[in-house]
Amino acid sequence: MGIIYRGFKNAFRNSIRTVSITFILALSIAMALIMFLSLKTVQSKIDEVKSSVGNTITVSPAGIRGFEGGGELLTNTTATTISKIENVSGITKTISARLSADTDTNLESSVEAGSFGRRQMESENQNNSQMNENMPENFSMPINATGTSNLDSTTSLNISELNIISGTKFDESSSKYVALIGKNLAEKNDLAVSSTFTAWDKSIKVVGIFDSGNNFSNAGILMPIKTVQVLSDQENEINSIIVEVSSIDNISNVETAIKEKLGDDVDTVSSQDATEQTTSSLENIKTISLYSLIGAVIAGSVIILLTMIMIVRERRREIGVLKAIGASNLKIVSQFISESTLLTLMGSVLGIILGFAFSNPILKVLINNSTSSTTSGAGQAGGPGGLGGEGGRQMMRMAGEFLGRAGDSLQNLQAVVDYKIILYGLGAAIIIAIIGSIIPSFIISKIRPAEIMRTE
Amino acid sequence: MLKVENLTKQFKSGDYTVDAVDKISFYLPTGVFAAILGKSGSGKSTLLSLLGALDKPTEGNIQVNLQEISKMKDSQLIKYRRDKIGFIFQSYNLIPNLTALENVCLPMEFAGVKKIARMKRAVELLDQVGITLDKQDRIPSRLSGGEQQRVAIARALANKPALILADEPTGNLDSKTAKIIIDLLKNLAKSKKTTIIAVTHDKEVAKQAKIVLELKDGKLVK
Repeated sequence: MGIIYRGFKNAFRNSIRTVSITFILALSIAMALIMFLSLKTVQSKIDEVKSSVGNTITVSPAGIRGFEGGGELLTNTTATTISKIENVSGITKTISARLSADTDTNLESSVEAGSFGRRQMESENQNNSQMNENMPENFSMPINATGTSNLDSTTSLNISELNIISGTKFDESSSKYVALIGKNLAEKNDLAVSSTFTAWDKSIKVVGIFDSGNNFSNAGILMPIKTVQVLSDQENEINSIIVEVSSIDNISNVETAIKEKLGDDVDTVSSQDATEQTTSSLENIKTISLYSLIGAVIAGSVIILLTMIMIVRERRREIGVLKAIGASNLKIVSQFISESTLLTLMGSVLGIILGFAFSNPILKVLINNSTSSTTSGAGQAGGPGGLGGEGGRQMMRMAGEFLGRAGDSLQNLQAVVDYKIILYGLGAAIIIAIIGSIIPSFIISKIRPAEIMRTE
Repeated sequence: MLKVENLTKQFKSGDYTVDAVDKISFYLPTGVFAAILGKSGSGKSTLLSLLGALDKPTEGNIQVNLQEISKMKDSQLIKYRRDKIGFIFQSYNLIPNLTALENVCLPMEFAGVKKIARMKRAVELLDQVGITLDKQDRIPSRLSGGEQQRVAIARALANKPALILADEPTGNLDSKTAKIIIDLLKNLAKSKKTTIIAVTHDKEVAKQAKIVLELKDGKLVK
């Protein structure tokens, strides 16, 4: 115990030095702690974003996006091929169809054409002189009908949530003439559960009314995929397939496998692509934090190292005396280590306090500096909705949504302060103390006791 | 008893080899107070550090109570210094931030003596050298030179050494205090049956010694 007692006593031999060393050390430990906190916080945010984006790949027909482009649609065979690929845990098929308000259905769209809709219609029908004559006075927007094999796959429906506000869901595998009607469309046409409407000359029963939270989808109809395929005369055809992968790590493998099997027939966009954009700024913060953490620990070690070298040189004679009266190197080194440990412990207590106090403000600064690009990107991507049930654009919009979501969540990022951090802080302090004692210990062992015999 | 045979210590300085101690042999019985006299550079301090195992001789043997120290390993030398040797220095060399009592306890702590036992012995030793209880809790800077040297003597005695080596023990003291310290050492040699060797250039100190060894250029001249 005498060794530790003397070590501790020695730590206060020069009070000005002790205070300044403690303070400088506290700054470097606070810095290390803050960077460690930000590393942990950012990592947990990255994991969260990754898991919220999900493990999906969107497969769309090559060259076709919604109702635009050209080529061949996907088929049920494509879907079967994909579902057999390793690590694919499920697929959701969707087909889109457009119900012209004039010819295909008795429903009236809840979306006003506006200048955008009119322009789209004009360009689409420029060869149709009859239609052109009727426009713009009598013109109404077409209604989007989406056939899906899985109502729970909100990604495939291009919405973030599906709230059934009245009625029930339908059986996705049936081919009955049933439909879920968007809230706005229902209001516009005075439809309720059990009402019917006409589409493709058939009477369709409303089983439920949904609210997806966006006006575009709320103006649409959801139906079982087979029903839409049969009624819209697109039997066996599929607009897009959402592939669910067993884990986020297998996404790129599965994406490659799909490309290999289906070649140029399909275009794929994986959620990973969207995640990467979102998390790239987080990854940057992570890297900054990691380097700063290492830097802060090194700085702390160097501070204590230089201090201990200074102290050992100063007490060279005293070390010689201790050796002369029978102290072993180990005992003297232990005494100096206990001194440096106490200095670092005091520094770390102060450092932990500073770290707790400043972790959130510093995290905010870091994030504000590196996410401005992300949030503006989110605004652009998430903004315009577009005409038509454009399955292809949905990934764009999805990415935008996630970017937006990530942007929001970044602003609300709070350092994960838990009390384990104190242990990490103390751990860092002990590592610093030990690293800082190695060279001084070597100097101690080299001091010859005979040196004290030299004339004073 | 102390037996020194053919003791030589050479230092290299550049291309020259200096014989700081040159083939010295002598014998001291137990319990004598001996003095080593000589001018500065005569090799007295080197001889003392060889005797105290602070340095290793180039050649020759040192025997303390039939124990041969020139052949000891480093770890044995630490024990030898701790258990058999007591050092007294011209500038006292007490640890400045420890009290008189703690300074005396130090060698006993290194020797593994229990805390209560070493405290008790330290108080006794300080009492014997004339440091009263009220001064035992003072740090060295709050003691006079003579008092500091008394504390150093108590520290040297702590582990009941066979040999006490004193390097100019009165060098920093006025003549009156110096006489008191020398008397103290003389009496301790007798009462504790410890051989005391004091390096000095003070003829007055030498007069008190039973045996005087005089060194010149590393050689024993008397």
